[in-house]
Amino acid sequence: MLRSSGALAATTAVLAACSSTKPSVARIGESPTTVKLEDLAVTDVVLLRTAMSMETMAAAMLSDSAVTALASKDTAPVIAAFAADHTTHLEDLRVLISARNGEAYSETNAKLMQAYGQNALDLVASGKLPEDALALTLAVETLIASTYQYFVSLTAEPAVRADLVRLGGRSSRRAAVAAQLINGGTGGFAPANDKDGVALVATLPSAFGSLSTVQVKLGPPNEVGTRTTVLMDTPSLNSLIY
Amino acid sequence: MSMTTRRRLIASLLTGGAVIAAAPLFAGQASAAEAGGTPQRDPADNEALNSSLDRESRMVATYRKAIVGLTGNDLTAMTLILDHHVAYAQALTGYLAVDVVNPSSAPLASPTGSIAGMARQLATLEDQTATIHTDTIGAIKGLDAATLLASIVTVETRHAAALELIAGASPIAAIGN
Repeated sequence: MLRSSGALAATTAVLAACSSTKPSVARIGESPTTVKLEDLAVTDVVLLRTAMSMETMAAAMLSDSAVTALASKDTAPVIAAFAADHTTHLEDLRVLISARNGEAYSETNAKLMQAYGQNALDLVASGKLPEDALALTLAVETLIASTYQYFVSLTAEPAVRADLVRLGGRSSRRAAVAAQLINGGTGGFAPANDKDGVALVATLPSAFGSLSTVQVKLGPPNEVGTRTTVLMDTPSLNSLIY
Repeated sequence: MSMTTRRRLIASLLTGGAVIAAAPLFAGQASAAEAGGTPQRDPADNEALNSSLDRESRMVATYRKAIVGLTGNDLTAMTLILDHHVAYAQALTGYLAVDVVNPSSAPLASPTGSIAGMARQLATLEDQTATIHTDTIGAIKGLDAATLLASIVTVETRHAAALELIAGASPIAAIGN
């Protein structure tokens, strides 16, 4: 009885302390006030605006001088066509947004450019390795395809889901072409390793579209011969364009 | 009150508190799909999904015919794509479960001849299959099925472009421009 009452009293005291609006611990000096974050809804228009920011980012990265300067005469027109396609997709997205009374977005995704886009370009520029042009192209196209695939799970309107998948499918096709330009022929379809056990680029790395982080090795080798791995993630709540 | 009961009481108080504390974290992050009351599943989608399953089942039959007589890398590549379509058919069958309507196992074509010629036929079929699934995504309401089909289309469009290149298309043509 005494033990039960003691436990109940202790629990009550803890809960009472938690419910207090006043600070329970004495502070010296001024403490910053907490500003509640604004509640932002992830609407279909937000997803379409974010898609515009990703397409703009892809076009900017693929037409950056760091990439175009390294592309061979065979691959340069292909990469340029990829960049032009991304610009074309902006118009498709603009139509979808204005049909839903939204406002188009014409900038790159600043948060993701800061998180990995600019870093990738800097590494390509400093490494000056011709193979980096296609490696970055493959990574960017895979990222854009994954972004559209992911957005389907957040979209309310079925017609918009289909439009997103159509746009993602175009990036998937470009990713397959980039992979084949790196490791061509039917021998490049399936995942495989070279004679040293290093993974080769596969055109068809998985049965289902992956949403995991896109990884790409870029830039100059360091003192032990390894290169920087850039991790590229699809947009999330803090990088959506609200 | 026994020790076990007290522990249970305290544990449930803590668990309840954690749930209440975490609720506001998720409250402001609802997506359009969640906020709009989009169903995860909708029985009305089953007919369209059975059509997608039927298409995948026929793609499996087509690739089973196509790989006969292939060797080396060509056999490995076509078997890989066959395995993908088997996985798609299995995933759709698993999703539909008791609502599966017997899918056809008739091949869509009989690809023969050179690997380039076969790849050209198969690329066309892959494109058509991706279009069928994409149209289905636009017609169905259930989010789970749409997400599954999206993950299939992402790779089937890769199949199509890769096969176009094997068929001899230029890179620009293979991306669909």
